[in-house]
Amino acid sequence: MSTITNKSKPVGASESPFARVQEWILINSQIVFTILVAAGIGMYFSLEFENYASWRNAFAILERFPELGLITLGFTVTIIAGEIDLSMGSIAALVGVIVVRLNDPIGAVPAIVVGVGVATAIGALQGYLIAILRISAIVFTLGTLMLLRGVSLFVANEQTVVLREFAFGDWLKDRIVIGEAELILSPASVIALVVFVLIGLFLMYHKWGREIYAIGGARREALAAGVPLTRPMIITFAISAFCAGLAGAIIGLRAGSAQPLGLQGLILTGPTAAFVGGVSISGGKGSAFGAALGTVTIALLQIGLIFLATPAYIGRLAIGTLLTVVIIVEIGARWLDRFQTRRTLLRRWTLEGEGRPQT
Amino acid sequence: MSSTSTQQSASSGGGLSLKSLTGGLSTWVIVLIAIPAILLIYGAFTTENFLTAQNIKTILRSTAFVGIFAIGLTFVTISGNFFLLSLEETAGLASLMFAFTLASGLDEGTGWLTRMFGFSDGLGLIPALVVTVGVAVLIGAVQGAIVGSGGNPIVVTLGAAGIIFGIASWTSNNAVIFIERPHPAEWLGTGLTATVPNVTWAFVVLAILGEIVLRYTSFGRSCYLVGASKDTAHSTGYNSFWKAVQVFALASVAAALVGILFAAQISQGQVSLFRAAMGSSGSLAISAIASVMVGGTSVFGGRGSIWQTVLGALFISVVDNMMVLRGFESGPRILFVGLTVVASISLYALIRRNRTR
Repeated sequence: MSTITNKSKPVGASESPFARVQEWILINSQIVFTILVAAGIGMYFSLEFENYASWRNAFAILERFPELGLITLGFTVTIIAGEIDLSMGSIAALVGVIVVRLNDPIGAVPAIVVGVGVATAIGALQGYLIAILRISAIVFTLGTLMLLRGVSLFVANEQTVVLREFAFGDWLKDRIVIGEAELILSPASVIALVVFVLIGLFLMYHKWGREIYAIGGARREALAAGVPLTRPMIITFAISAFCAGLAGAIIGLRAGSAQPLGLQGLILTGPTAAFVGGVSISGGKGSAFGAALGTVTIALLQIGLIFLATPAYIGRLAIGTLLTVVIIVEIGARWLDRFQTRRTLLRRWTLEGEGRPQT
Repeated sequence: MSSTSTQQSASSGGGLSLKSLTGGLSTWVIVLIAIPAILLIYGAFTTENFLTAQNIKTILRSTAFVGIFAIGLTFVTISGNFFLLSLEETAGLASLMFAFTLASGLDEGTGWLTRMFGFSDGLGLIPALVVTVGVAVLIGAVQGAIVGSGGNPIVVTLGAAGIIFGIASWTSNNAVIFIERPHPAEWLGTGLTATVPNVTWAFVVLAILGEIVLRYTSFGRSCYLVGASKDTAHSTGYNSFWKAVQVFALASVAAALVGILFAAQISQGQVSLFRAAMGSSGSLAISAIASVMVGGTSVFGGRGSIWQTVLGALFISVVDNMMVLRGFESGPRILFVGLTVVASISLYALIRRNRTR
């Protein structure tokens, strides 16, 4: 009730903080729902296992950010733009191979720069081609998924590549110690979180970031209003490839090895986390914050399943089910929305005779 | 005899699709199509041991599984529903179901389903086929229903793949179910008819059947209609929801047939049968998608045919085989197939853009 009166009031300082929170909840109902789901999962497992709610586990969840989190962020950005980049798994594998191979001769940081640079360039090229060919990215990236698998096999010489110099990889995955305190962050998760914040700010406040929302939500209208297609497409796919590349580099350095055909499972988990985080397949909706929430939810679930000591296929079953449920909920919401719009229009026609099409 | 026929089909991979694409083409598009055709003919004559009857039989046999996958996919793609990413999992589940219902010597401890029902005597060939295909129809129809009500096909089938894989592993406890030999399905998997493997014959028969259905039945024609324009189809009385259910069920059945044939061939069923590195690109399903795309079936729906898909599958197999004979490792081979796919997608997109202009 109060929200209706709030809406009619001009937005100002007179609003009570409680009403403002209420309004925020209504606007971001999806995010609130995800928080509730995550809290529910966390609560269930913490009641079941006493070691679940621990700093160690918090560290484990944050450690998912450099891999699952970055992939989720990449998927979130492409889905916001109304597309999906299926080649992210292949890009991650390719960069993993490049970084692990280059780490010994040229050092870790230059290797990461080269690897992530290559990934970003590939992504930008993909975005450019998708924009000028006016082709569905989902189809195009399915082709590049295959192409890049071949490239990474080629770069890796058909075998799993292994690190010899572990110093940097170990530094990446160990907990940061400041004075006496041992943080629940590692350098890898700090890097990932910084990327999250930067991309989140870019999407929210930069003109080029807003363009991504525009071409995703209502492409035809955006193009008619003068939003270019090529620039946001290039940026979108450059970001997703950058995220995939960084994830691949960190995974490779942390594990000390990289498989040219590995990391394909991220193509299932990444979109699931992104959808849980509130993106919509029709585009224009979602945020980096949502991606982080989705990552936390999936990590909570996956770690819980590990606590339950279930076989690996149950994990895949759970993620697949979650993805399907999220899709069905979204379809249902869309139908409900359409139904309600129709009902409101009908009521307005019959009551006020307003907006009725002339026959 | 057989050598010349392969050559023709190989070169016509470029030529025939050219014919169907005429109108408003720039010369460099034609050049793009001609280059692989010329390379293929050149390769066919210069590669040692390529133009032998044995090798051609090998190519045909290796095309069969990918080809059957791709025949089912073609219906999905033509009706404007992109692709299924759950084909391998469906085939794995089908191989399991088939072995499970046909098996005559089940071990203890192969999962709760076995313990619960325990067909320790087996059901015989026909019931086993019916059960397996029935399960596939169900799997496909559910996916089709979700897609038909507005889900993105690729995301839905990605999720479905996880569920199918999980359920199949769970019910079988991830075990390999052996079919005790001799079993009635053996002629299907390993038998020969006129010196050609029955698996190849199955591919040929299904391709012809698919082409007839697509071209001459109202079901096939309405696939084109729904794919070309959902609105037109809707106003002429064709429901895109039911069409999605039908084509997804059909594609799942094709996937199940691959599972059945493979299970019959190696006398065992397992969930992850198709997840091992198989086919020319490391993944059977992606090879099948590649075949559909290289064949020129439009990903936007409404355009394409089974014979084009078969040519696409043959083209990929022939190139892969040629590269194997020339001593290439799997990296360059996958790279080449990927390049072909990306090039053909871009090419058809360009053609479409030129048309609509």
